[in-house]
Parts: sequence; C-alpha cells; structure tokens
Amino acid sequence: MSKLISDDGRTHIESPLMRESLVDRRVVAKTKREREYAILPDVTLVSLGGHSIFDRGKSVIYPLVETIAGLRRHHKLVLGVGGGTRVRHTVSIALDLGLPTGGIAQLVGAMEEANAVFLNALLAKHRSIVMQREHFWELPLYLETGMLPIVISVPPYHFWEPPPEKGALPLHGSDFGLFIHAEVLGMRRIIYVKDEDGLYDRDPKKHTGAQLIKSTTLGELHKHMPDELIIDREVFDVWRASKHIERVQIVNGTKPDQLARALAGEDVGTVITKEVARV
Amino acid sequence: MFDRKTIDSALSGSTLTTAQDSPFDYSPEAMLPQVKVLKIGGQSVLDRGRAAVFPILDELVRAKDQYQLLLCCGGGTRARHIYSVASDLELPTGLLAALGGYVPRQNARMLQMLLAKHGGLYIMTDDFEKLPLYFKLGCIPIMTGMPPFGYWEKPHEGGNIPQHRTDAGVFLTAEVLGVKRAIFVKDEDGLYEDDPKKNKEAKLLRRVGARELLARDLPDLAVERVVIEYLTRARFCHELQIVNGLVPGQLTKALAGEDVGSIIYKDT
Repeated sequence: MSKLISDDGRTHIESPLMRESLVDRRVVAKTKREREYAILPDVTLVSLGGHSIFDRGKSVIYPLVETIAGLRRHHKLVLGVGGGTRVRHTVSIALDLGLPTGGIAQLVGAMEEANAVFLNALLAKHRSIVMQREHFWELPLYLETGMLPIVISVPPYHFWEPPPEKGALPLHGSDFGLFIHAEVLGMRRIIYVKDEDGLYDRDPKKHTGAQLIKSTTLGELHKHMPDELIIDREVFDVWRASKHIERVQIVNGTKPDQLARALAGEDVGTVITKEVARV
Repeated sequence: MFDRKTIDSALSGSTLTTAQDSPFDYSPEAMLPQVKVLKIGGQSVLDRGRAAVFPILDELVRAKDQYQLLLCCGGGTRARHIYSVASDLELPTGLLAALGGYVPRQNARMLQMLLAKHGGLYIMTDDFEKLPLYFKLGCIPIMTGMPPFGYWEKPHEGGNIPQHRTDAGVFLTAEVLGVKRAIFVKDEDGLYEDDPKKNKEAKLLRRVGARELLARDLPDLAVERVVIEYLTRARFCHELQIVNGLVPGQLTKALAGEDVGSIIYKDT
C-alpha cells in the first residue's frame, strides 16, 4: 500500500509524481514514452462527412448504408458522422450574434447528434446503436455482440473550447473528435468518407486544376500543407503527437466501392501514413 | 443527382478549415463578466486540510454577498498518484485526463459540504447554463476545475500528462463567461522563476506579460503552460492572478480587485 507523507503541511501519497509541479517540463518529460497500450487495436473508425455525404440525401446515403451493412459482417467498425450545413448555419448565426467561441462549440454538437440519429434510423436493422459519450466503456460490449456503434463525433469541449489562434471558429470539430476517439482507443486507422476522391492540393470544388494527393506521409503533408483541407486541420496537428493511428484514408462516398476497398486495405482515395513504434 | 440539401448562410460553401473563412465583423458578448472565477488549488490548498482550507472558506463566506463567486477545484496528490499509475500502465493521455477528472470532483464535493450552510452548491459542467439562477439565489456554485475533454484530451509531445488540467479549465471558464481576471488561490505568493519549494532563491515575478513569459521559456511555471498560450489570444480573460491563500486577507484583497500576488497579463 502506498504511504501517506505529511511533512510539509500537505498530505501526499507516495508516487513518482509526489510533490511535483506537473507544470515543470522536466517532470512532464519523465512521463514521455514511445509506446502506449492499445485498448481496441483491431477496430476501424469510419467517419461519414456531414456536408459532403449527409447533406446529399438519399441518392448518396442509401447506397452507402447498404455498403456499410455488408461490411460490418467482416470488419469491426465504429461509425461517426459530421453535422454539415446546419453546423455552418449555426456558426454563422452565432458569430453574427457575437457568441463566444466556447458558446459556439456548445451549440454545434446538437447538429451532429441529429445526423447520428438519422444514420441510426437507417442502420438500426443492421444492429446500429448511437453511443452516448457517457457509455464510452460499452463500446467493447457492442462490438463483441456484433453491434454497429455510431459515436458522437464532436468532442465534448463545449463551453471550454480553447480560443483559436485566428478568428473565432472552434478548432475541435467532428473530424478531430473522431480521430481522437480512434486514437485514445488505440485504433490503427481511420477512414474519412467524403464526396471527393481524397485530399487535393487545393479545394477541387473551387479550382479546376486541383491535384489529388494519392499517397503521402504525415511529415510530407506538413511540409506542403494545403490552405484548404477536406478534413479538420487540427487532425494533422494532433496526429504528430499520436501513438496509434498509422493510416488516415480519405475516400469518395459517392462511389461506395471505395469504402469497401479501403477497409480491405487497398490504397484508394488519399492514403496518409505515419510510422508508429510498435511493442 | 448528388445535389446537396444545404441551408443558405454566410458559411454555407465553407470547408470551415481555414481561419480566414469568416466574413463577419465579430464582436463577442460577455456572458457573465461580473463573476469572480476562482481556482482553489488541490496540492497547494486542499491537500493541506483544515489548517489551510478553513481560513480561505471564512474569507469567501465574508465576501459572498458582495460578489458572485464561482469556485473551481484543483486535483492534488491523488491526481498525481492516478497519473503515475496510469503512466506506468502505458495508458493514453485521454485516459489520464478522464481518470484525473475524478479527483477535482471529489474536492469540489468536499468544499460543497463545508459551504452548504452558506449556499455552497456542487455543480457539474452540464449545469453551467444554470449559473445565473444559482447566483440569483445567492449560492456559491462549486465545480471541478477540469475541462470536460476527458477521453478526447489531445496527446502531446512533451509527455503523457494531459495538457489541459484544472488551471486550463478555470481559465477557459473565465474566458467563456467574459470574465477579465481569473484568480488562482495557491500556497505561494505568486509566480516564481523556478519552483520555490525546491529552489529557495527563486525570484517572484509580480507582473509579467504572457508573451514575455513564453519567451523566457522557464522550466517550471505556477500555471499550466497551455493557459499562458491561450492567454495571448484570449478575447475576454486577459489576466491571471495568483495569490497566496495561506496569507490571511490576500484573497479578500484579490476579490476587491487589488493587484496582490502575481499577475500574468495578455501583452500585445
């Protein structure tokens, strides 16, 4: 049993961090490790775009739902979905009203949750279930019983969203939230399903000459980071310090076979990799 | 055939991934600027027990009818123990953040029990929108200082301990409420150039700018590093005041707006 020590007016529990200032860089560095325990390594997180997939309605969603229903028999999948156009509308009203960044972050999650419910309605007969954040540890149960969990994509930063470097928009959106969800559970890959064939050097919706980036590494991408991105910029920042995710793939959901091929390990769409130290 | 069903808005075609997207002349409203956001230290105050906690609570009770007080609690030695155990087990940062969150909630509950007769009210982050009611009733809401990031806390390259802990939560609470100054009640007279508990020669800094402080790149700081970074881009919370709760009257002076202790401010 750990010893209690109270020789300086404070009562400490004996531990390597006892008495330490956790702000001290030298102390924090002692907790630095190359590897980390992977909680659910064999699961793949599949993120469906809100704006890019969901706002397109039946013609895109139905075929994708059918694809996912078939794929879940062969892969351990966790789904997430973005909020899309209603998020943009929420943000534009909130900015005009002068709501603080944390207030905006508090609002946007509702639109993403609504899309999770939509998706669940379509996949319920294929055993989907919307997993609320408080049910975090039920994920292994769902997977073990052959369910198809749909997690809430936007991270619970809420009123506590940190102030962004520029502008007022919250930085931690649904792409980021799903990345972190996959990372903290030790997953090795995440697939973002969007309405383009992958990540381009410029927004292909605005620039006809935009070039598709088929395959790159995280390091290379940071050297030539496009100004406009198909997923949250924050994903590429946090990935640098991550320990588990080794492959981020962006595929075109209007071509449903792309998701199937990506899950099978094929290099469709854009494949971004990072070398990860394994045990 | 793949038309999107979109709502027309100023951001409707936006990828939301570029900061320059915003076509707005943004001028944010302060929600509750009059509130005094206070952090009660974990290791520095609560782990000292009655000897340190009771006099601080006396000062708070005397001040409670004059100010709207929001108390946020730090973790302390039990959080350090949790971080040590979790690090040893090679668990991810998000897990440390979620687990570390238990301790400041315990501390908030302890303060609630002691302040119950004066209107002390334990609140969860989900109760945040009810703050105006609690203040109208003359209550002292008490919550964890930890922001609700939990499992969604970002890993970082410096080490495994979460970057956003209770100082960050307290700063972000003040920022979203539109409060200009967040007050950190600790057991030292303010911010020193090094840990004063280990280096007796460490010099006290009375007033220092956030950018200046970052540029000095001190190995140790009295508040979490991310908070100093966020301070440089804050819209509302432009000052962090660190006061010594063990010196009688210092907290009362800080509540009255006096520049006791150390002040870290947003410099331009």
